[in-house]
Amino acid sequence: MEKKQVSIIVNGERKEAEIEPRMLLAHFLREVVGLTGTHIGCDTTNCGACTVILNGRAVKSCTVLAVQANNTKILTIEGLSRGQNKLHPVQKAFVDKQGFQCGYCTSGMILTSYWLLKNRKNVSEEEIRAAISGNLCRCTGYDSIVESIKEAQEMMKEEGDALEHEQEITVRSKR
Amino acid sequence: MELSEKLVTGKGRFTDDINLPGMIHLAFVRSPYARAKILKISGGLTSEDIALSVSSVGEGASEGFENLAHPVLAHKFVGYVGQPVAAVFSENQYEAEDMIDSVDIEYDPLKAVSDPEESINFEPIYPGLKSNTIVDKWYGSDFNPERSQIEIEDRFVNNRIATNPIEPRGVVAAYDGSKLTVWMGTQSVHSIRRGFSEAMKLPLESVRIVQMDTGGAFGLKGGMFPEYIVAAHLAMKEKRPVKWIETRREHLMASRPGRGVIGKVRLFADRNGKIHGLKGDVIVDNGAFTGGSGEFSPGFIAQQMAGPYKIDNAYVRARSVLTNKAPQGPYRGAGRPEAMYFVERMMDRLADELKMDPVDVRLLNAATEPYKSPLGYHVEASKPFLESAVKELNYRKYAGRENVGFSFFILYHATSGGESARILAEDGKLKVWLGGNAHGQRHDIFVKTLIREELGVDEDLIDVQKGDTDQIEDGVGAWGSRSAMVAGSAVVIAARKIKEQIQKKAGKYSVDKLLEGSWDSYEFYRYDRMESSLGANLVTADVDHLGRVKVKECLAYYDLGRVLDPVNAAGQNAGGVVQGIGQTLYESLTFDEDGQPMITSISDAGVLSADLVPKSSIKFHKSESDLPSRAKGIGESPTIGIPIALSRAIEVATGLKIRETPISPEYLLSSSGKK
Repeated sequence: MEKKQVSIIVNGERKEAEIEPRMLLAHFLREVVGLTGTHIGCDTTNCGACTVILNGRAVKSCTVLAVQANNTKILTIEGLSRGQNKLHPVQKAFVDKQGFQCGYCTSGMILTSYWLLKNRKNVSEEEIRAAISGNLCRCTGYDSIVESIKEAQEMMKEEGDALEHEQEITVRSKR
Repeated sequence: MELSEKLVTGKGRFTDDINLPGMIHLAFVRSPYARAKILKISGGLTSEDIALSVSSVGEGASEGFENLAHPVLAHKFVGYVGQPVAAVFSENQYEAEDMIDSVDIEYDPLKAVSDPEESINFEPIYPGLKSNTIVDKWYGSDFNPERSQIEIEDRFVNNRIATNPIEPRGVVAAYDGSKLTVWMGTQSVHSIRRGFSEAMKLPLESVRIVQMDTGGAFGLKGGMFPEYIVAAHLAMKEKRPVKWIETRREHLMASRPGRGVIGKVRLFADRNGKIHGLKGDVIVDNGAFTGGSGEFSPGFIAQQMAGPYKIDNAYVRARSVLTNKAPQGPYRGAGRPEAMYFVERMMDRLADELKMDPVDVRLLNAATEPYKSPLGYHVEASKPFLESAVKELNYRKYAGRENVGFSFFILYHATSGGESARILAEDGKLKVWLGGNAHGQRHDIFVKTLIREELGVDEDLIDVQKGDTDQIEDGVGAWGSRSAMVAGSAVVIAARKIKEQIQKKAGKYSVDKLLEGSWDSYEFYRYDRMESSLGANLVTADVDHLGRVKVKECLAYYDLGRVLDPVNAAGQNAGGVVQGIGQTLYESLTFDEDGQPMITSISDAGVLSADLVPKSSIKFHKSESDLPSRAKGIGESPTIGIPIALSRAIEVATGLKIRETPISPEYLLSSSGKK
């Protein structure tokens, strides 16, 4: 199969590779870039375990071709932490409120929550439940996830300048 | 880094995250027919290359029926859509999947049977078999009801459900010339080791199983599967690591789903509501091969069918029947939800028949003293618990409303067999292994609590490890609501043993002596009894004019004994509530008349999203167990209690009799089942 050149900025670093055009973005991230925090759960865009942020939008990377993501900026779960050992408020809230049990859906759940809180202020519980309805969790029954997102919202409110910081994180080169 | 921090930063290590040098990827050619003769295969690895069958280990494992064991790769016949027939492999996953097309198989399709009741009188699905009924036993003794008694009867169905952990099954196998090492998500490294050893005729000590982070399991990941054996066989033959990861579609066709049980129940009672006898007929949809839980389930269900009640006479027939579907396996509850559904729905029937309050009927029949049910199992004195449940759930406030359902049940914990734990003090820290392996239940939290209490060690210095047969001698598994009870008790005793070691060698125990030294303590806590605990649920739900159900309140009152970790216990409840709602309203695996699966995605299978479920709430009843951990189990309680209470809430809201899960909106719009 004829290979295609792609150039994708992943967590601030430019990644270039020659890949088969049929390669899914999820596999590009996991196998070419080596970031295994993006998980594959269902192969059919239902479960959302593979959610990443592509040019500021939450997408399910198991049904995006890597060639479609050429020249885009991707944020994965590994890029969300702020430098060494500093959790993003959404990650911290998921730890504090036990927003997971097995942890497999967690990366996607956190990135969808991040996208929500970055784009909407003062979301209600009902809105949170609607916003994460594309991310399936089989363990928690969602109560602790909803509590985590509420907590993250409060933490981000207190921080104030969080939104600007997030804008920066997708373009900053990480060393 | 703490487990929590790993999991929120993408640093968890799941099976599919393993990437070893020279690793090959495996893919399977699966049967497109539910029942067929195989005429010819060309290409791929076949049963000629791997003439083995799948061993039965773990929760509800088979005891016999070698001739019906699942072949690793189909031999002469296929018994269900999705059954592995041939295997192909390549350097990468995409190429391995391409190679599926290189295998040619000729089939002679035969008429399949997917309904277990139809299968009883259907031609045997394999040659040489006399009947498709593989288990047919009676429990209790026959009795003649008295003339004055009323008699009510009904038939209930809990349809099959896929376990659907978000992480599918998967395995990585490697062989170094003397030892086979297998990495995988599992509920029990020791069951899996026995499984490889038995199926591949390898000595136990030449197999090592290493647990990876395990992305949910719900019963699925305690047993052996054909794909694992092919991966190990290939790793040994090719001397290269082999990876296989299940796709969701494979999961839905060819893993082991749970439920799939029909129950017919007849109650005999007097006009005051007192039950004098119960007769039942349980039929389990075993699927096409043994090795799952299909042989164990019917008897397990039958023996529980007195529920938490005092019923003097009982007689239940328990059957398991072959069908052209994947073998049945354990799914959260694994026989408990079915048994309680059958008896509890009949309590509601009796209440309706006598125009009594459903909880009053239950109170009248609850056991005032512990007794042994004629069906086999021990029933604890349940009335005092039910009286407090009525108060704690504020039932009297809800009684008579046209949208409320109540359930009362007994949870039989899989405590028999006991469990192991190992504590190793080294370099100023404690490492702990359990014989049963967590797959999302956060055993690490209760283990730290128990060790802090026993040994006074700061929780930050305790590291709970994943399963590894090289690190802990033996073990059973994490299932059947048992871990806090038996694994927790093994931890307590291992901690006490380590204390004794220190006292013997170094005098008075102190945390410093423990942390400064090097100590190792292994305990296999033997326990032979099956413990039980009681639970009750109250659910309210509305049904709109389109037959859509809105679940409003899900309240629980469960006996957890000593509550080791209230936050996580509430989390176990919330997760189980959603699975219980899922079973009642959405989840099923359906098949057409040719045995073709109609469900091909996780959403079709009915796994619920956050917007469709209410917040749950739980109150704890704390009647401590006699075990060293003093705990009782919770994992399966909500999957037992919620379907019963929700079915009842819908029944009173619509006036339709609810007999089957899931309840479809089509049924709720019909009038054929009106009271």
